[in-house]
Amino acid sequence: MSETMHPEDEIFGKFYDARLMGRILRYLKPYWKLLVLSLLFLVLYTGTLLLGPYLTKIAIDQYISAGNLDGLKLVVMAYLGTVFLGFFFLFGETYITEYTGQRAMHDLRTQIFAHLQKQDMAYLDRNPVGRLMTRTINDVETLNELFSTGVVGLLGDAFTVFGIAGAMLLLDWKLALVTLAGFPLIIYLSRFYRRRARDVYRESRLVLGRLNANLQESIAGMGTIQSFGQEEKAYERFQGINTDYRDVLLRGIRYNALFFPVIEVFSALTIGLTLWFGGRLILGHALLPGVIVAFIQYIQRMYTPIRDIAEKYNIMQAAMASSERIFALLDTEEKIRNPLVPKVPRQFQGAVEFKDVWLSYNPGEPVLRGITFRVEAGEKIALVGATGGGKTSIIAALCRFYEIERGSILVDGVDIREWNKQDLRRRLGLVLQDVFLFSGDIAGNITLGDPRISEEQIHAASRRAHIASYIEQLPAGYREEVQERGVTLSQGQRQLLSFARALAFDPRILILDEATSSVDTRTETLIQEALKELLKDRTALIIAHRLSTIKNVNRILVIHKGELWEEGSHQELLARQGLYSRLYELQYQAQEHGGNGAHSPVG
Amino acid sequence: MIVRYRLLLIAGVVALIATDLMGMAIPWLIKGGIDAIIGKGGVSPSLIKYPLMIVGAALLQALLRYFWRMNIFGFSRRIERDLRGEVFAHLLKLPLAYFQHMKTGDLMSRLTNDMQSMRELMGFGSLAIIDTAVIITGSLSLMIAIDPVLTFWSLLCLPFISFSVRFFGNRIFQKSWDVQQHLSLLSTYVQENLSGIRVVQAYAQEENQIRGFQRLSAEYRRKNLWLATLWSVLWPLMRIFAGISAAIVLWLGGRKVMQGAMTLGEFAAFNGYLAMLTWPLIAVGHVVNQYQRGAAALSRIIEILDVPVAPGYRESELPTPTEPIRGDVEIRNLNFSYGDGHPPALRGISLKIPAGATCGIIGETGSGKSTLVHLLLRLFEPPPGAVFIDSTDVTTIPLPRLKAAIGFVSQDIFLFSDTIRENILFGYRDADREALEESARIAEILPSIRGFTRQFDTILGERGVRLSGGQKQRTALARAIVKNPPVLILDDAFSSLDTETEDDILNHLREFMSKRTTILISHRISTVKGADMILYMRKGEIIERGIHEELLNRRGAYYRLHQRQQLTREVDEMPRREGPR
Repeated sequence: MSETMHPEDEIFGKFYDARLMGRILRYLKPYWKLLVLSLLFLVLYTGTLLLGPYLTKIAIDQYISAGNLDGLKLVVMAYLGTVFLGFFFLFGETYITEYTGQRAMHDLRTQIFAHLQKQDMAYLDRNPVGRLMTRTINDVETLNELFSTGVVGLLGDAFTVFGIAGAMLLLDWKLALVTLAGFPLIIYLSRFYRRRARDVYRESRLVLGRLNANLQESIAGMGTIQSFGQEEKAYERFQGINTDYRDVLLRGIRYNALFFPVIEVFSALTIGLTLWFGGRLILGHALLPGVIVAFIQYIQRMYTPIRDIAEKYNIMQAAMASSERIFALLDTEEKIRNPLVPKVPRQFQGAVEFKDVWLSYNPGEPVLRGITFRVEAGEKIALVGATGGGKTSIIAALCRFYEIERGSILVDGVDIREWNKQDLRRRLGLVLQDVFLFSGDIAGNITLGDPRISEEQIHAASRRAHIASYIEQLPAGYREEVQERGVTLSQGQRQLLSFARALAFDPRILILDEATSSVDTRTETLIQEALKELLKDRTALIIAHRLSTIKNVNRILVIHKGELWEEGSHQELLARQGLYSRLYELQYQAQEHGGNGAHSPVG
Repeated sequence: MIVRYRLLLIAGVVALIATDLMGMAIPWLIKGGIDAIIGKGGVSPSLIKYPLMIVGAALLQALLRYFWRMNIFGFSRRIERDLRGEVFAHLLKLPLAYFQHMKTGDLMSRLTNDMQSMRELMGFGSLAIIDTAVIITGSLSLMIAIDPVLTFWSLLCLPFISFSVRFFGNRIFQKSWDVQQHLSLLSTYVQENLSGIRVVQAYAQEENQIRGFQRLSAEYRRKNLWLATLWSVLWPLMRIFAGISAAIVLWLGGRKVMQGAMTLGEFAAFNGYLAMLTWPLIAVGHVVNQYQRGAAALSRIIEILDVPVAPGYRESELPTPTEPIRGDVEIRNLNFSYGDGHPPALRGISLKIPAGATCGIIGETGSGKSTLVHLLLRLFEPPPGAVFIDSTDVTTIPLPRLKAAIGFVSQDIFLFSDTIRENILFGYRDADREALEESARIAEILPSIRGFTRQFDTILGERGVRLSGGQKQRTALARAIVKNPPVLILDDAFSSLDTETEDDILNHLREFMSKRTTILISHRISTVKGADMILYMRKGEIIERGIHEELLNRRGAYYRLHQRQQLTREVDEMPRREGPR
């Protein structure tokens, strides 16, 4: 429930929108046979409901009045029959409806999730995780209610009301017309009520949203409230909304308290009318008494659907709003698409070339300004520079997380826009600074669920990453859960695990953003060893934070304010006495004297 | 709380009982009506009498029903609101440490969802219990009055309704719980996937992730279907029990009518009463289940109320001196830890800031700088005899007096989704327009505010104007200034501004600062270098102290930090090679 409301979450849909409904129904299309079946069950069930009072009438008029015990027995049996058939039909209808609804929702949910997987980073930066979660989970849940209660419920109610009206007309049309005379008025009243109930519902949702927002804000801002001694005021503020909420709901109670009794009065009025008019007909021998008994039973069944109409109306509305948001999400286009016919380089060597590459996250604010460099296959390159200079953007552009604005990036001579995205990324092993662990076991975190990586490969990769001995001494070994329920890995161990991940995938080109957090000396040694394994026989681009790394690479690129400032080996660059020598002093020199394993630049 | 609304409740209950009694009268009148038609033969005045009585009874019933709904449901809504307010008021006084280990979502759920469960139990629960008692005794006695033997046979099946609601209800609750748990699993999966999307895409694992999601979603679908199955058995099952009873009545009652032992009207009325029994029998099974949930919810709510409030809120009546606080700050050999098992956060801190002086504190993250000022503000409780303002132990200063005396701008700026005016006046509600504008001017936020169309009435936050980091910090500064406090604390308040802007703001503040005690916390030398005294903190201890020049001459930690920052500044100031194209 920890959600702040987004403006778009406050949209209230129409009751019915043919365009949206059409799209929703498309998800039901694969299951149309089942739907027809459930509709059939619904009709049959309504039929059994209608038969009950009719059988009572038969019993009274044909058998009880005639003293025919065998006939009565038959009717009772028939009555029991409708009861059991009703059970069967109702069960069938509910189950099948729920089944198809759940299937369709599963399909929709999967489609949304799959759609999100294809989005580029710019999209994911723009849309907070919480909002996308709401779309995938909560909005689909709301839509589900439309299937299980909304549409079917409304249909069932309509069947019942019209069925009863029909049955009454068939039994005695004169009496039926008198009985149903008040019905248009009820419909009118219920429309009036429905509008009020809808307003209350909307308003209560809005106020509840405010209440939640205030609550969240107050808890998050508790330090500020207490340090300013403003507890009183915070309380007043909250209590104001809390009271508003109560008052809106009290208004809702008032509408219900008015409408429900009015319905009951109408029901009683109709019964009175039936008794009076029917009584006169009976006395005139124009009607049998059983009809009156049946009518009274029908009337009692007729008013329940009308009473529940507002609730179903709200469900419909919420579902329309949710589906609108879902479809808006599904309609966003995939920004970075695969080419129709991807090019495949003749040989995977691992050469990378940047040609005058420009990149902006926000239009007009380039973060890379004409970067040009070439990395030969098997060469190791370090990227060095102050925070915010553009090192990470170079990596992101190479992985095609963002589309570059100008220039081109070639991998093995082929422009990355002509590669198949997934193929390209499979050649690039990305190891990020903050290692992201998924819940699940250690093996799953190494393979990321890729079934093509065998158990042996997992073990081999872990051994080469120097984490195997640690994993093997865990109670469940590679099956040990990480995250909340399992072991907590230290920073160093997480890094080694991410090395194992990269080794298991065996990429041609390694992209490494070295962690800045300091680790103990023993772990540092392990990381150094593992890093050696990781770099073997590969092209490597490293955002370097370790002195040992910058000393061991073939070439260093100094990135400053989105530009390639200077390049060369460690010694060459130091001798030049330029930007690099200052950065070295700032970021790496302390490590010369056996300081912490790595150092973050002090800003 | 219940006492406050007891009249409401009592009136509601009386109305409810009357409604039920009126409801039971109607079938009786129908019986009269039918028998009048059949029995008499020939037009009689009673032909119109019964219909009129039915309508009259229904009108009266409607009136009563309106009354009880308003009272009983109104009662539960009022209780809900009052209890929620009470819990919130309690939250406001809890120690900050409590909020660090409680999840916001959890607390919110207790104040909304749990409140709702509790309210449902109160409203619906009391309704169901009374309804059940009245209708069962009433209907039963009337049915017995019509025909005791028929009553016996017709009731054979009905208790099964309660049992099945109870039986299935419990399983349904467990399954719903299961479904909810799985839903949160699904949410977590999506959340993880989106948070780790770089890794997923970098290793081209989209397809596997989709497969994983599909598996979980399918499992969710199965669990939901189980739940639906239970539901789709329960409702029809209850209809079966009710239907069997109706069939029994039709058979036995019909026979009696044939034999003349029962009139047709009695037969119809009997059916009516039988139908009336169904709802309370369902409700009673439901309430038993609901009770467990409501009780659990209530216990979670009470759990919050049982947490003791922070010490500062406990002392009720401390004498409040009338003379204003001057602003002498003194700390004597202060040791502090956030709790048992936590490493000490502060060790042997002693310092003295005379009123009107400026003290700069510098050090890395986690060195204890913020802890120190939190203790001064009693956001965390300091040990007695260690922290003094005007030679008075802060633990003996009444909280309102203490907090009014300190203007605090914290590291993580928190502004409320409200107008700029409300946000600035948060610190001092009685300030007039002049003071409001003056504080905005000193904090250099006035030009920005003038730029907004609604000026001080501009709403901030998600649904209003989003301020930049710098604007937020200036607004927070204005909020502290408007209080006109004798002590001003700036806790790393300008960390997201560049050095020039920070210098600029500090220069503007100089006059304001000169008249009050100021504590400047920063990790930047440039912020503190003009202070009357500077403390360098590391790992909870003061390792160096003095004024800027002294500290530089000492060539220690302060000097080294200064050198590094100089160098960083130089790198930052190096221009681009090429201008923007």
